[in-house]
Amino acid sequence: MKANRKTIIYAICLIAAIILPLVFGGNYFISLYGQTLINIIIVFGLNFITGLTRNMNLGTAGIMALGAYASGILYVKFGVSPWLGLAAAIVVGYLIGKGLGYPSLRVSGVYLSLTTIAFGEIVRLILNNTMNLTGGAQGLSNLSSYSIFGFEISRGLPFYYFLLVIMLIMLWISTRIVRSKWGRAFKAISDNPDAAESLGIDIAKVKVLAFTLASIYASFGGALYAHLMGYINPATFNFDMSIDFVVMLMVGGIGVVSGNIIGAIVVTMLPELLRFLGNYYQLVFYLIAFIGAIKLPQGWPAGLASLWKWIVKKTGLKSRKEG
Amino acid sequence: MGDILSISHLTKRFSGLVAVDDLSLTVKERQIHTLIGPNGAGKSTTINLITGVLKGDTGVIKFDGKDISKTPTYKIAQMGLGRTFQNIKLFGAMTVMENLMVGAHKNTSQGILNFLWNTKRAKKEEEEMRAHAEQILKQINMYEYRNDMVNELPYGLRKMTELGRTLMTDPKMILLDEPAAGLNPSERQDFIQHLKDVYDSGIDLFLIEHNMDVVMSISHYITVINFGAKIAEGEPKEVVNNPEVIKAYLGSRFKAD
Repeated sequence: MKANRKTIIYAICLIAAIILPLVFGGNYFISLYGQTLINIIIVFGLNFITGLTRNMNLGTAGIMALGAYASGILYVKFGVSPWLGLAAAIVVGYLIGKGLGYPSLRVSGVYLSLTTIAFGEIVRLILNNTMNLTGGAQGLSNLSSYSIFGFEISRGLPFYYFLLVIMLIMLWISTRIVRSKWGRAFKAISDNPDAAESLGIDIAKVKVLAFTLASIYASFGGALYAHLMGYINPATFNFDMSIDFVVMLMVGGIGVVSGNIIGAIVVTMLPELLRFLGNYYQLVFYLIAFIGAIKLPQGWPAGLASLWKWIVKKTGLKSRKEG
Repeated sequence: MGDILSISHLTKRFSGLVAVDDLSLTVKERQIHTLIGPNGAGKSTTINLITGVLKGDTGVIKFDGKDISKTPTYKIAQMGLGRTFQNIKLFGAMTVMENLMVGAHKNTSQGILNFLWNTKRAKKEEEEMRAHAEQILKQINMYEYRNDMVNELPYGLRKMTELGRTLMTDPKMILLDEPAAGLNPSERQDFIQHLKDVYDSGIDLFLIEHNMDVVMSISHYITVINFGAKIAEGEPKEVVNNPEVIKAYLGSRFKAD
């Protein structure tokens, strides 16, 4: 019964995702939906390291930038297909994970946060200053879209559905990992590291794995972003962006894959909904996120669910329904 | 029968305080060996030294014939030395079943890449782990609690969960840090029986215990330490009649036995 209800909810969400751009379209919004899907993918990754192993990563934008530029530079400078660019982004993500993972494991807590912030800023500065390769502050433009069997996936609806399929594949992979021995190991090392070690779990190795997964997801998402927008520049991948990913994770409920989706949607779309506030939208947005973090630490969906339960209990709504 | 665990001339100092002082002891295979001593005698430090949580200043620890004095904790566990903790260390955000399944993590062989494309093998491995956990939960009479969050369980059951989780690692030997502490008399009886079953299934046990009823009913061999140094060892009967042990630890109550 319960599993059935879940399947129905998933089906409704999927149908909504399919018809949304048809009903509420326009170039701008469809591009925004595409960005939302990419953000969802990146939050899936962040969920492993910050959600499950509880290691703060504030360098996501930097990792994403490297993925975007890997694919972008290969295309612009060497004429390499964006598909190979995606593969290159995965390799880049893997290398960042291993390269940044091992040294950053020596530090934790605030120091790890600082290390990851520094990484993101260093990446942005390097991209800004290696003019020949990255085009400096002007960035790279005229990045093509993907094509399948000679047919281009044009920006707009086709690209949106392409991203939706990729997001669903990443959802499948993430859910499997979270529910597997890896997911349990990720949770175990943050929940009780002493116990995890006493069971023969190599904490450093597990942490690096979680970090590597996160950076592969971010780098992969970055490459998709480059070809969705057709244009990238270093200013996009700033510290605010890294914070936004953490906010998405917190809003959705740390550690929960379905929450990742909700968090990414809320945080990506909320600025649009708050646009009528003009210059004050960021203030209101971060205020909402701030209150959410304090009042609903287990995430908005779980928080609202318990609020609903409380209302039902107070009003006796449920008993009337059942009776 | 060989020695499963041997400690020779082990010393550990904490800035001036000698917690473990030139301690030597050997645990023979197929024996339940208990370490006793008054509070602050260095019992927990000894367990932490054996499991690699602390590193000794001098001395050699051998487990199953191999020197583990400088081996990291997780590798010692991988060699087959399991442990439980004095203050129960469970994964609070998980169910009983999940806690046990983390215990089997080290015995699984599938890597993450293989896991991603070989879904069949991944499924099989998960099912084997689950079956193993179910079998152990039945053995320790906890099957009905398998889907409960461990934080919501009473103390005795949490203690049992920790034992079950250690069993999942397929250990050769388990170190138990005060297994009977915090249990009421009937839980204690129950726990002792389970420990005896574990021993009978071929796993050697090394205990730290305060409760003398437990010590006397389960131990084959006892080592007594005080101020980090060994003051006596032998079979339970000899040890409790040793005047020095009575003076340092037991008090005159046990003299009559």
